[in-house]
Amino acid sequence: MGNFLVWVVWVAAAFACLGSAVAVITFANPFYSALALVGNLGSLAVLYLLLSAEFVAAAQMLVYAGAVMVMFLFVIAYLGGRAETPWAGGPGWQAVAAVGAAGALLVEIVVAVGLKAGGRLSEEADVDAFFGGPHEIGRLFLTDHLLAFEITSIVLLIAAIGGVILGSNARSGPESTGGSPARAGGTRSPAPSISAAQPPEGEAAR
Amino acid sequence: MNEPWWIDGIKSVVIVNLVLLTFAYMTLVERKVMARMQLRYGPNRAGPFGLLQPMADLVKLIRKESFFPANAVDTLYIAAPVVSAVTALTAFAVIPFGPGWEIFGYDVSGYVVNVPIALILLFALGSLGIYGFIIGGWASESKYSLLGSMRTCAQLVSYEVSLALSVLGVVIMSGSLSLVDIVDKQNETMWFFVPQFVGLITFFIAGIAETNRAPFDLPEAEQELVAGYHTEYSGMRFGLFQMAEYINMITLSALCVTLFFGGWHGWNDDVLGPLWFILKLLIILFVFIWMRATLPRLRYDQLMAFGWKILLPAATLNALLTALLVVAL
Repeated sequence: MGNFLVWVVWVAAAFACLGSAVAVITFANPFYSALALVGNLGSLAVLYLLLSAEFVAAAQMLVYAGAVMVMFLFVIAYLGGRAETPWAGGPGWQAVAAVGAAGALLVEIVVAVGLKAGGRLSEEADVDAFFGGPHEIGRLFLTDHLLAFEITSIVLLIAAIGGVILGSNARSGPESTGGSPARAGGTRSPAPSISAAQPPEGEAAR
Repeated sequence: MNEPWWIDGIKSVVIVNLVLLTFAYMTLVERKVMARMQLRYGPNRAGPFGLLQPMADLVKLIRKESFFPANAVDTLYIAAPVVSAVTALTAFAVIPFGPGWEIFGYDVSGYVVNVPIALILLFALGSLGIYGFIIGGWASESKYSLLGSMRTCAQLVSYEVSLALSVLGVVIMSGSLSLVDIVDKQNETMWFFVPQFVGLITFFIAGIAETNRAPFDLPEAEQELVAGYHTEYSGMRFGLFQMAEYINMITLSALCVTLFFGGWHGWNDDVLGPLWFILKLLIILFVFIWMRATLPRLRYDQLMAFGWKILLPAATLNALLTALLVVAL
């Protein structure tokens, strides 16, 4: 019974995963594509759950579906969803190449997994109660995968600093002096005087 | 454990209905308390002391026509409030409310599910709830809704970071992400609001921002944006959004009780555990209402500057100091 339920969930999640992945590249409206990507990440999380990787599943929802995709939607909604048909003008060389590349990747993954795992794929994995939990993952991060973990953290730190620098440069650029609300709040004196001085000038010009 | 699956079903139904009841009466309590604080009476016509007001509101919302903007994207427009309400209701499943009992020979635990990653699950559900707000605002095809949902989204993403960092101290002190373990640990040592006072303050402030309540209610600033992302909604669809907001507030208060105030522990808590939990929950909810009645709304740049320049460093320092102290002591 339990096994049957696992199969049902697996089939549903796997097809949802494939379907949403196809939907991402076929929707004409980028907002829908982004939503389909959220669905894809969600069904991947379900697949992780079936592999008893609860922590990875929750982190996937929190980081990718929760934070990254919200930013995607934010930008798309701001720019206005302009519909562009992906297959407009028939399949060009890019479309053909994309399908070819995807097929090559699929073959490569299947072959790689098949060669690496061999006959072990048909056996059930031996998993204890702590597998995939926060304790076990934390232990692995700080022992077996310490180097990768530290390098990732440095890369993320650099990205964060870069974000701050890019953001502060954009704000102190010449064209936005006194214009952004953050500056108007911080340096109170110049901004109101400029905005107060403008209307009389306009009046005089007219 | 002699706990068959249908007991979980019963518990879920009871909890969902209790949460919905709390939501219904929170709307009344909020109006009453705010009215008293502003020297008014508040609703007092429906039933004695206005006690039937939530029922009257419900009947009104259900019977009202559900408007539909002509240009709206229909599927998303209808799905958005459902997404918000479902994620808000699901989150309550991991919150422990009692020690567990033996009833008619069955073991009944004091929680619906106890997962080792409960805290992350709660935050993940909370971040999924944001989609309801964004999609709703976008699908309404209206300027006010879109601006409101953009504000909601920016605010929630900004303050979620502080919210998650502020509970890190609690996680480090208890050594677990499971809320059941965190409550047990507080019973063994002390309630975490003493050693984690900075964590509590940052959690509470970030929590108010997460639930879009005053003084952080910019997404719904009436004077500028009509009503924010749910401007184009009416009837029970609007009711679902409203429900999601209130239930998010209730869940956050319950999380606050669980993380900082010892959960269901109190005097004679073997039997009275759930009552202690509800009492603490109501006190925190009252503070939420109190804040709304007392503080004026921030400006948008103040909101962002406060979140990134004050709250986030404070939460980070708190987590760092806690880690140092836990390792040193």
